[in-house]
Amino acid sequence: MDKLPDKSPDRTIRSLHITAFAGSVFALILSVMLILNFLQMKRIDPLNSRTLILLNERLKTNPEDKTLREEIRSLDLLARKAFFTSQWQIRIGGYLLLISGLVVVISLKTTDFIVKISPDEPGRQKLDFWERQSASRKWIAGAGVVMICSALILAFMTDHELGRDLEHALGGAVAAKGEPANANVGSDKANRENRMVELPADVPGMVSDSVTQSADQPSGFAANPVGFPTQAEIRKNFPGFRGPGGIGIDHHKNIPVSWDGKSGKNIIWKTKIPLPGFNSPIVWDDRIFLSGANETRREIYGIDAGKGTILWTTVIDKVPGSPAKAPAVNKETGQAAPGMTTDGRRVYAIFANGDIAALNFEGKIVWVKNLGVPSNHYGHSSSLIMYKDRVIVQYDQRGSAAVMALAGPTGDVIWKTQRAVKVSWASPVLVHTGTRMELILAAEPFIAAYDPENGKELWRTDCINGEVGPSVAYADGRVFSVNEYSKLTAIQLGEQPRILWEDSEYLSDVPSPVATAQYLFLATSYGTVVCYNVLNGEKFWEHEFDQTIYSSPMMAEGRIYLLDKLGVMYIFNASDKFQLIGQPVLGEGTFCTPAFTDGRLYIRGNNNLYCIGK
Amino acid sequence: MFRKSREFWLLLLLMLLAGSSFAIQRFPRPEFETGYQQPETMLPGPRAEIMAVVDLAVLILALSAVSWMVLKKRSRKGVFWVSMFSLVYFGFYREGCICAVGSVQNVTLALFDPTYPIPLTVLAFFIIPLIFTLFFGRTFCAGVCPFGAMQDLVAFRPKTINSKVDAALGMMPYLYLGLAVLFAATGTDFIICRYDPFVGIFRINAGFSMLLFAAILLLTGIFIARPYCRYLCPYGVLLNWISRFSYRHMTITPAECINCRLCENSCPYGAIKIPNSVKYAETRRQRVRKLMFITLLFPFLMVGGGWAGSRLQETFAGVNRTVKLAKELLVSDQNGQDVESFEIKAFRSSGKPLTEVYQEARIILHRFLIGGWILGAFLGLTTGLMVAGKLLENHQSDYVPDKGACLSCARCTDYCPVMGNTMPTELNHKA
Amino acid sequence: MPTRRVFLQNLIRGGILAGLGLLTGSLVFRSRKGGTCRLNISCNACSKNGSCTLVPAFETRQFVWQLDPSKCIQCGRCATECVHTPSAVKCVHVYAMCGYCDLCGGYFKPDTKTLNTGAENQLCPTSAIKRSFIEDPFFEYTIDENLCIGCGKCVKGCGAFGNGSLQLQIRHHICDNCNECAIARKCPAGAFSRVPATSPYLLKGFGKQPLSGDKTGGPESF
Repeated sequence: MDKLPDKSPDRTIRSLHITAFAGSVFALILSVMLILNFLQMKRIDPLNSRTLILLNERLKTNPEDKTLREEIRSLDLLARKAFFTSQWQIRIGGYLLLISGLVVVISLKTTDFIVKISPDEPGRQKLDFWERQSASRKWIAGAGVVMICSALILAFMTDHELGRDLEHALGGAVAAKGEPANANVGSDKANRENRMVELPADVPGMVSDSVTQSADQPSGFAANPVGFPTQAEIRKNFPGFRGPGGIGIDHHKNIPVSWDGKSGKNIIWKTKIPLPGFNSPIVWDDRIFLSGANETRREIYGIDAGKGTILWTTVIDKVPGSPAKAPAVNKETGQAAPGMTTDGRRVYAIFANGDIAALNFEGKIVWVKNLGVPSNHYGHSSSLIMYKDRVIVQYDQRGSAAVMALAGPTGDVIWKTQRAVKVSWASPVLVHTGTRMELILAAEPFIAAYDPENGKELWRTDCINGEVGPSVAYADGRVFSVNEYSKLTAIQLGEQPRILWEDSEYLSDVPSPVATAQYLFLATSYGTVVCYNVLNGEKFWEHEFDQTIYSSPMMAEGRIYLLDKLGVMYIFNASDKFQLIGQPVLGEGTFCTPAFTDGRLYIRGNNNLYCIGK
Repeated sequence: MFRKSREFWLLLLLMLLAGSSFAIQRFPRPEFETGYQQPETMLPGPRAEIMAVVDLAVLILALSAVSWMVLKKRSRKGVFWVSMFSLVYFGFYREGCICAVGSVQNVTLALFDPTYPIPLTVLAFFIIPLIFTLFFGRTFCAGVCPFGAMQDLVAFRPKTINSKVDAALGMMPYLYLGLAVLFAATGTDFIICRYDPFVGIFRINAGFSMLLFAAILLLTGIFIARPYCRYLCPYGVLLNWISRFSYRHMTITPAECINCRLCENSCPYGAIKIPNSVKYAETRRQRVRKLMFITLLFPFLMVGGGWAGSRLQETFAGVNRTVKLAKELLVSDQNGQDVESFEIKAFRSSGKPLTEVYQEARIILHRFLIGGWILGAFLGLTTGLMVAGKLLENHQSDYVPDKGACLSCARCTDYCPVMGNTMPTELNHKA
Repeated sequence: MPTRRVFLQNLIRGGILAGLGLLTGSLVFRSRKGGTCRLNISCNACSKNGSCTLVPAFETRQFVWQLDPSKCIQCGRCATECVHTPSAVKCVHVYAMCGYCDLCGGYFKPDTKTLNTGAENQLCPTSAIKRSFIEDPFFEYTIDENLCIGCGKCVKGCGAFGNGSLQLQIRHHICDNCNECAIARKCPAGAFSRVPATSPYLLKGFGKQPLSGDKTGGPESF
């Protein structure tokens, strides 16, 4: 500062320095105070004051103690006051600290602008350039060594048990599942395989939470073994009753909304089916499969989807163990009520007498067996459903109810789980709940889910009784069960499934409900359709069609298709407002649920199979 | 509306038996008789979306302004005032989020996690300063980065750092960048944000450790100019490398250097290259041999570093929440703890199968193994390259900025006595 | 050889530019899993209606942090982990879900005998909930957000014994929207996520409610 000839800048600088000094001292004091405040608050923690908790405990044992109560109240007030005062202090302190810092910075900066600080005098670095470079090289190498050493020390201090423990835990879990052969359960690929059959139910345009379920790219499916179809293939076709997974949700496009059976409008073809049957059509590629039976004869038909000609008819007879006389059944159930299923390699059908058969696509029998005549007073009607290359049979008969999985290629029983339930006429539903595949069955007295891999029961909820006809609906982690004279129950899945809501105003006898992530559509057999909020059971709307309905509603392209017993299809929007889109008439009575492919709709009437489209 | 009042009590009972669960209408909404108006739930919105575009515009304007100040006006004062504006806008007004430094992690995460949506503005905050650097040098550091501005403010008595110490400490940003990328790529953590020292000051609200870190950095910053930028900033690594190839970097002198030595120690960041008296200390052959030796060493450095990094697999993975949860679950399943942590409680109530967590943890652990190898190899290679770089250093006869380390703050220009207009680009290449 | 040097330098510059372009391009044009289609064209690329797997990785929208009340387990860390003190997470009362109970599980401690507003009965540590009589037997509960510290005690109580109308939410006029939310890092339930700034709340309700800007199409101001 001796360079400065003028006195006044000198004085300015001095005062600036004093300001800066004062500012920094102030900041220092503030910091110390703030730190003390912080430490004190941390120590006493007024909002979780121990004294208050103790006093409250005392008050609990002695609820009439007025002085104690007063003491708590005043102490509580004090604690809260302390908390908020301290907060205020910290906030104000922060601002003051910032301001004082600013004062210091401004005064010092101004000094620097007045007196240019002379940098270190030149040539302070004594070493020659090349020597410095060489020294730097050594120091960099040294830094590298330090890094490696600290990495190794750190690594030495961490234990390396985790990888092995995880392996162990996973290995144990796999072994516990009883499938040591399938050791790659944990791998990505296996995960993808498991997810393959996931069936999220989304309405178009809806922002869904379940989008993660669709996270697998289509390319992942291509890697699957050839023994069973990929998810994409399943969705392209219509492999069983109520579509993929049996939840009544179809994924095809351009589904017709108008036709007329009388004038033949939009009816592509119509084929007479020789034997009666209430099983709904299933479709794979260019084939439609149906079964039909009477007391003496059981047949399976393979039909050309293009022209409607019956390509082959296979008679199922002389099955070992099959009874000589078909069991007595109700007229409205018949001998061929259960829906068929297919895995794209074989088709499977079961009849009221317990005969189950697997046919190839040319109609040749691959295997056939009798599961024992079901003791069922109306007649067996649970549809088959496929999982991977297995066919799953819900065999809830009187006395020895069970669910089993038969190997598709051989018919061998892969697993069989006994069920403590009464007779059921509902069909199994197979869904991916986001974490695993679950096979969900309905029968008095409970809704239960099984692992389709091994038949282990995953959960059960006692919420249904009576002679259960409707299958469950599933969407977005929620299961909906319903039965006449029982109740409608929404179950939220999770570690421990719980009942979300119940209702008993409208109940279904035969038609199964269908659900989306937002709405539940329930059709009763007496013709009322109700749309519920899946979250709370609030009804968005209800509509009376006043017709008997045995067919189950199907959702396709954001619309609900619902057939009544006379063959009138009610098409309405799957939304929170009732909006009828069309009411085309088939001209023939129907019991069955329609099947869908792109641009086409297949309806089995009481005598004929119709193909509807343009 | 509520016809089900009879069933309600039964339902309530059921619900209570089912245990605590979320959003169950146990009590119907009352029907008020006194005309009570139910208040509306207030939902204050976040900052308007359009403001992100404003941020972007301010970023580009500030970058242009600094570049202009540095290259055309050669004005330290101009740079200073732009940096003050940036400090107020990006620092105190925008509270330090989103910043270009942190955006490294968002970009990494977006590259590795296909489900992460990266907002375009964040991507722009990452890319635009890099492009400006490619053209004009690290003008972002000079006057746009609020962290830099903050530290620049307190650099009152900068001391020259010994070049070898400077070189060794210069490894730290690479380490920091490597770790930040590793943790971001595995979706574990954003460590740059977590250990960001200055946001606490910008918000006047922070945790104790964050403020302590800020105080240490700022106090150090009085004597060591911009310690964060030089020895920590991970984004600075990228800027450093791109700046080496910048099209028009700032120069100390507007015309010909007269070797007056006035600027020699003017740079608080030690980013001025000093002319060397002897052309080369060693013969060409000696240098080539050394260089070849170092280059041959690269694979070993990479493998060695990679191996050391891979040893840290579980140390790193321990930070990941899934791995942490899996660890806790393993312990609790073995020992059956009495008091379970919130993590385990939350997991148990989520209904996720145990194996899934273990599988996830295993996958993450594996990623950290690969990540550890890559990180170690990267650091090994960096060390080798840095050493080689010190060998490759060219002879020069003028005072020129070290284009990588120079922060384009334009301090040195104030010391240059040479008058003249901005220099032609050709001279730039003399460096 | 200055020209060769210049050429080489330009080559590297071009390389850097191309690299940056490639990086940007790969982020802008690459598909992202699990997104929702915003193009609203039926490109048939998606297997499901409306939910598309081919969504660009970038977003022109802004994102903010929010916590999902259905995942929240009310651990109390929202009160302590936020960079703000008091926390930007507050208890929000969804009046439309409230049962207006006299015995409010969110207001009173579980074993409260006499239902009065005495400090010994209140669950809230800062007494941020105001209880006011409406008509027999209904009481209204309002939250003073200036006092609320986001500890979630009332949320737990209301969820366990009531309708769950008290829910924790990040209040966006307080939240700084850190690049990585400090609470998200510590949330044991993983309830925090980035949500589009146009629908910044994740409140759960029973029926249709005028929430999340349903009415105005944008967030309402406080």
